[in-house]
Amino acid sequence: MDEADVALRNLTYGLFVESGRAPTIHETAARIGATPDDVWAGWKRLHDDHALVLQAHTRELRMANPFSAVPTAYQVFADDRWWYANCAWDAFGICAALHVDGHIEASCADCGEPITVHVQDERPDDHGLLFHCVVPAARWWDDIVFT
Amino acid sequence: MNLFRSEEHISRWLGPRDRGATIPVAKLCELAHAWWGNRIDPYWQPRTREQNQAILSALGLTDAFWNLSAGEDVS
Repeated sequence: MDEADVALRNLTYGLFVESGRAPTIHETAARIGATPDDVWAGWKRLHDDHALVLQAHTRELRMANPFSAVPTAYQVFADDRWWYANCAWDAFGICAALHVDGHIEASCADCGEPITVHVQDERPDDHGLLFHCVVPAARWWDDIVFT
Repeated sequence: MNLFRSEEHISRWLGPRDRGATIPVAKLCELAHAWWGNRIDPYWQPRTREQNQAILSALGLTDAFWNLSAGEDVS
């Protein structure tokens, strides 16, 4: 990952946090005076480097981990805004990335019972919950959306 | 990567599938802060696989399940 791609990645994340949603390719290009094709080429390299995740069939972002560009079962209220996280790990990651307290709205993957977790000073208020990961770490990026 | 009410719920949800790794939510929160804490820093730089592995190891996640050996270089 060269410096230009790191800069594009950091800009993309900055725009995501600034607006509360995934930036479009045109918004990103306009911000740096580049063409959409230039941004697309950079985003594809970043996708290949696991620095962000693109949609499979459109020129859009799918993930800027821990943030999700699409609605998910993990919603996070942090920094006066609602966000979608890609998974339970990322839900806590949004509070971590923003360096704020927050709360997570999700549900038990088994029974569907709603789960609300408040995160304050980097700690959850419900210590009885469990996190389960099915895919071993070495295979997380085989199919990151499934993971 | 999901949340569950209890071990019983995990077992029921898995059914015949192989079990992965389970950690308490407090450990998950700690992991998330170590892993994602620098994610929107304006001067963010990619981490190496070794750096990522060190984060997991520092939290006691050292068994084979958490071994990143196949190429987790950035996230």
